[in-house]
Amino acid sequence: MSSMLDEPVLPDTGATPPPPGKPPVQVPKWRRDLRPYLLSVPAVALIIGILYPFVIGVIFAFQNYSAQTTRNRRFIGFENFQQVLTPGGTFFIGHAAWVTVYYAVLATVIETVLGVGIALLLNRSTIIGRIFEKVLILPLMIAPAIAALAWKFMYNADFGVLNHVLGLGTFNWLSADTALYSAVLVDVWIYTPFVAILVLAGIRSLPREPFEASSVDGAGPVYMFRRLMLPLIWPYILVAVIFRFMDCLKIFDIPQVLTGGGPGDATTTLQVSAFKDLINNGQYSRGATYMFILWIIVFITARVLVGVLGRAQRRAAGAED
Amino acid sequence: MNRFDPNPLIRPGSGLSRRSMLKAMGLGGALAASVPLLSACGLTGGGDDAAGGGSSSAAAGDVTGDFDWKKASGTTIRLLRTPHPYVSTFDQMGLYKEFTELTGITVEYDDVPEADYFTKLTSELQGASSAHDVFMTGAYFIWQYGPPGWMEDLQPWLDNTSATSPEYDFDDIFEGLRTSTRWDFQKGSALGTGGQWAIPWGFETNVICYNKEVFDAKGIKPAETFDDLIQLSTDLTDRSAGTYGISYRGSKSWATIHPGFMTQFTREGGKDFSFTDGKLVPTMNSDAAVTFTQKWADLAKNAGPSGWTSYEYPQATQDLADGKAMMVYDADSATYPKWKGTAVAGKLGWHPGPAGPDGSYGTNLWTWSLAMNSAAKPENKLAAWLFIQWATGKDALSKAATSGNFADPVRQTVFDGAFKTSIGTEYPGYLETFEKVIGSTKIQFTPQTQFFATTEDWAGALQDIYGGQDAKTRLDALASATADKVNQA
Repeated sequence: MSSMLDEPVLPDTGATPPPPGKPPVQVPKWRRDLRPYLLSVPAVALIIGILYPFVIGVIFAFQNYSAQTTRNRRFIGFENFQQVLTPGGTFFIGHAAWVTVYYAVLATVIETVLGVGIALLLNRSTIIGRIFEKVLILPLMIAPAIAALAWKFMYNADFGVLNHVLGLGTFNWLSADTALYSAVLVDVWIYTPFVAILVLAGIRSLPREPFEASSVDGAGPVYMFRRLMLPLIWPYILVAVIFRFMDCLKIFDIPQVLTGGGPGDATTTLQVSAFKDLINNGQYSRGATYMFILWIIVFITARVLVGVLGRAQRRAAGAED
Repeated sequence: MNRFDPNPLIRPGSGLSRRSMLKAMGLGGALAASVPLLSACGLTGGGDDAAGGGSSSAAAGDVTGDFDWKKASGTTIRLLRTPHPYVSTFDQMGLYKEFTELTGITVEYDDVPEADYFTKLTSELQGASSAHDVFMTGAYFIWQYGPPGWMEDLQPWLDNTSATSPEYDFDDIFEGLRTSTRWDFQKGSALGTGGQWAIPWGFETNVICYNKEVFDAKGIKPAETFDDLIQLSTDLTDRSAGTYGISYRGSKSWATIHPGFMTQFTREGGKDFSFTDGKLVPTMNSDAAVTFTQKWADLAKNAGPSGWTSYEYPQATQDLADGKAMMVYDADSATYPKWKGTAVAGKLGWHPGPAGPDGSYGTNLWTWSLAMNSAAKPENKLAAWLFIQWATGKDALSKAATSGNFADPVRQTVFDGAFKTSIGTEYPGYLETFEKVIGSTKIQFTPQTQFFATTEDWAGALQDIYGGQDAKTRLDALASATADKVNQA
């Protein structure tokens, strides 16, 4: 007896059935069987592509691998970590870590404040605002290394345009005392538009009713911003903060191009240290150790910030006080 | 049996379930990854041999019979270059075409700007890539690239009369250059021992180039002692007019230490290391070194460019050309050909720079040399050697020297012949300066594998002293850190 399960019952889609006498095109069985695996290949390749260099880097961090030990490298446990984490030691990571975090916090705070401010200004849909929206995105189109090079020329104490325009004489923008702030300024110039655009998108997605209601109730613009808009756009600001802070923790190109990590060690970040050891000095294991520690810092920071973002989103949605 | 399958794409009985397929792919991926991974862990053995040298003798020894430029005819080799007067001169003179006609070998090349050149080269060599058979290198890089076996020892090629033309005359190359590209990689060994890792192609001494027009107008002459140079530079500095006395490199890079700084450091009695009890002992904090370093940093502050810590040779020499700097202490070839045909042509003069208290003209050199990639395909090595031999030979260098753009040929006969003939009177003091210092021109650094790390630290210390830190304290700290680095491996 024929069972209903022998032939799958297809839902009536209303489509015209194939003309009689012409059988429907049948995909060969082997192709049907292979399809899911082929579809999964890119994902698997991507995972391997990401994990492979990471695992290699972690392995290097536990070896004595350098250009001088290419043929007799071996595992040395936590020796590299001990070297870079011992205060006062030749390879101590402390100063580079401090420069990295200081740079990241400073740049992120400035970019966030400026970005939110610019977004609020651009939210008023004037002709100038619309023009600025287009102009604003230009720095993001320039490679950071190129932007840093251009700023390096502008910073030049003798012939740089900044001193000329600002009337600062031969002020040294890249001295030991100022170089880090000059690097942050370049970062701010490039990435503030990123924050502004993200926050502007958030502002424009907000419902109008609460603002109209509070306006009717007589709320002023400052009150409305603090009590209404800021809580609602907080998740967007946090997304920008997360992206910028993590990016800044990994900063390399701007200090490297501007000052090569100098003067002295004024702009030597963890990435700059790692680059010098890995590429310039052939100290692969020590460079990898720097990078592994940086990864841990970024990972923990990301986890914390994403947790904060989640709470902010729930609060903005009214699911949490 | 219930034949209904909720997922029609996966049929029972296909012999390979999704789960087993994923397992197979995972295993395959793991295996694919594990080969280099195990190699990276040093567990497979032999993986590194590809990058190692050691094949040079066999490859050089394979060439037998009479020497013939056509022995590798039909081969194509690849050269990695960085744009430089030596390079552009060969291009302008059409010399590669002559090489191809002579040998039947085709040369293809890639140019990488100098700022990125060594990063690119190092990455390639680290990866044992055979993308380029021949590459340009400086002598210091031999100390880093040689020990891991990334460079072919060219001595067996030089020694093999079947591979090297009887007219090549290697000893015609200035001695300081030949020894600067030879080392045995042993800590404490001097240069001039061990393998010949590269052949000098062009080079430069480090001297003073000055604005002769201004000097003549003021009726002054270059300084003969370091203290006089400090005084002269200070006197020539007029910040309100945007001019200053002397320019030299100040960026945080090994390249800051090696030209003017190392030259005058040596003349003033400084030495980077001594070798005691099997260890390198940093001596850049000796009394003479501290005194000199403090003076050098003060000179930069009082009579140098305002943004000195970002200055590299293009900025330093450009300020001379723009009339802002009255003197520049850097490579002679950085100032010699560059200004030909410019507004300052004929207005510059050259001087050896101040002699040391004992009359020393010890000068540090830089040489762009040609080296062979040890990972080059074996069938390309003879062609690569023929190219290196030809490019550094008398004929090609003489032709290049007549162009007027090829500063400081590495061969005595070429310098005495084609170069002297071509230089004319447009460069007052150039030849005299060269002849004054060439006998004392060599690499003044102690060879050691951590050269780039330690000299960059040195430049960082120099910047800190320029920024106001006490020279003795800072150099003591530098010496301590340097001792750890050079003796750890």
